[in-house]
Amino acid sequence: MTDDTNATFQGSEHELHRMTDELDELHGDVGMPAMCDALETPSGTSRRSFLFGAGAAVAGGALLAVGAGGAMPALAGASTRRLSALGAASFPPKGLSGDLAVAAVAASLENLAVFAYDAGLAAATAGKLGAVPPAVATFATTVKGQHQQHADAWNAVLKSHGKAAVTVTNPTLTPTVQSDFAKVTDITGLAQLALTLETIAAQTYQVETAKLKSTAAIELSASIQPVEMQHIAILYYVLGKYPGAQTGAGTPVAFNPTSQAA
Amino acid sequence: MTADSRVLAELLEESQDLHADALRPTRDALDEVVESNRPGEPDDARANRDFHGAHRRSLASSFSGAAVLGAAGGAALVGVLASAASASSSTDVQILQTAASIENLAVATYKTALTLPYIGGSSANPVVTKFAQVTMGQHAQHADAFNAAAKHLGGKMQNKPDPAFVPVVNKAVASLGSATPAQGALGVVGLALELENIAAETYVKDTSLASHASNKALFASIMGIEAQHVAVLNAVQALLMANAPQLISLAPGTAAALPAAAGSVGFPNAFYQTTKAAPAGQGAVK
Repeated sequence: MTDDTNATFQGSEHELHRMTDELDELHGDVGMPAMCDALETPSGTSRRSFLFGAGAAVAGGALLAVGAGGAMPALAGASTRRLSALGAASFPPKGLSGDLAVAAVAASLENLAVFAYDAGLAAATAGKLGAVPPAVATFATTVKGQHQQHADAWNAVLKSHGKAAVTVTNPTLTPTVQSDFAKVTDITGLAQLALTLETIAAQTYQVETAKLKSTAAIELSASIQPVEMQHIAILYYVLGKYPGAQTGAGTPVAFNPTSQAA
Repeated sequence: MTADSRVLAELLEESQDLHADALRPTRDALDEVVESNRPGEPDDARANRDFHGAHRRSLASSFSGAAVLGAAGGAALVGVLASAASASSSTDVQILQTAASIENLAVATYKTALTLPYIGGSSANPVVTKFAQVTMGQHAQHADAFNAAAKHLGGKMQNKPDPAFVPVVNKAVASLGSATPAQGALGVVGLALELENIAAETYVKDTSLASHASNKALFASIMGIEAQHVAVLNAVQALLMANAPQLISLAPGTAAALPAAAGSVGFPNAFYQTTKAAPAGQGAVK
């Protein structure tokens, strides 16, 4: 640090960005935790993670929706996937920051998508959703597999950095999905729920693609976002709507928005 | 926890918010100052000093709470920003111009397709016609956005089609002259599919090639739109090939009649490929 405000910085643009990033990480990883620990309060990691902007509001809504009764719907097909028992405040797991925190949240979103499609397929098989068109069954099975591959890819990133894989569903959105799934009675309702999840995923990847630092993470995020967008297009088609990104009123848009990004 | 420590905790939380709020515009401004600080520009030094002064004041204001470490970090950042390094924007300009050239070609292709009776005429499937019209309009908007971004970086606007793909389109269009409506529709869909896929793959790749965050965000906002075009065209192509054009419909009940394969034909890969991405400088202004 220098007091000479007219001093000329001799580094490169890359170094300039790196130093800014380091400053941010220093503040989030060292300064805030140290001060919070000193106060015996939880670390403020939630402020740094990208999830807890709109996501926090969604979580609040979920609590209201589930209500005092607290009866979580028992979702079929959930036996092999651990529904998140974590609070949003403790996610992403402590020790993850920057790209790795994004990887953890991305994996949790993919886990949630797998869970939702799993539950939907199980409900359909049990005859709880009425007649299931063959194309819809194929869609759900194929998309579930792709989301599993996405989750595996993000977990591979975490493991390659010596971090534990994320096997839980996203703790912020899980209550909402559970609540919404409990209201699904037919294929149209399931498609609407899937559309919401896919939209959140696609818009989240879109936002993060422009923010991630490592080339590998950018490439991974950028390779997944268009696939989620394709899922969205086909879901719109199944619902009898224009098969592409659109406004709430159904007007097609040329640039995908990010207002629903987690 | 005592009342005082609660107050301190609240101040820490506030500090964290202020830090985040201060850093967000700083990152954007950093891109701008780097861009405006190319060698040889006479006002660089003064611009940097002005920028430095404005952000020092902004940061000082932001860190005026209890966050000691945050304030120290802010001072360090101000030091860093005393002068910015030069930007190398040539790659960004090239990929933006190439993207515009792909969009220009797509617009021209859809425009031609819409003159064909089985795409834009009375014998056309209305869903296909609307898709072609909407998609052409979207590509025009994409071209404008890419050109605006290139111009912002001091580059020229690219108003011509990508030279590498023009012969492919010309050959395909020429072959439509002797085609039956069914063959012609399949030919148009196949051509559009190829162009859309090239666009999507190119922009996926460009998100990592671009150095400016705003350009990464621009490519990211468009790549998925093109991928959706691909998904729809994949489905339309499959239904045409299955001799089931009546299922290219948004009418209620259509989904129930779709063959099982229609549920997965739109998105053949879990990860979008980039093997057909256009090279960065392919459509750049020479």
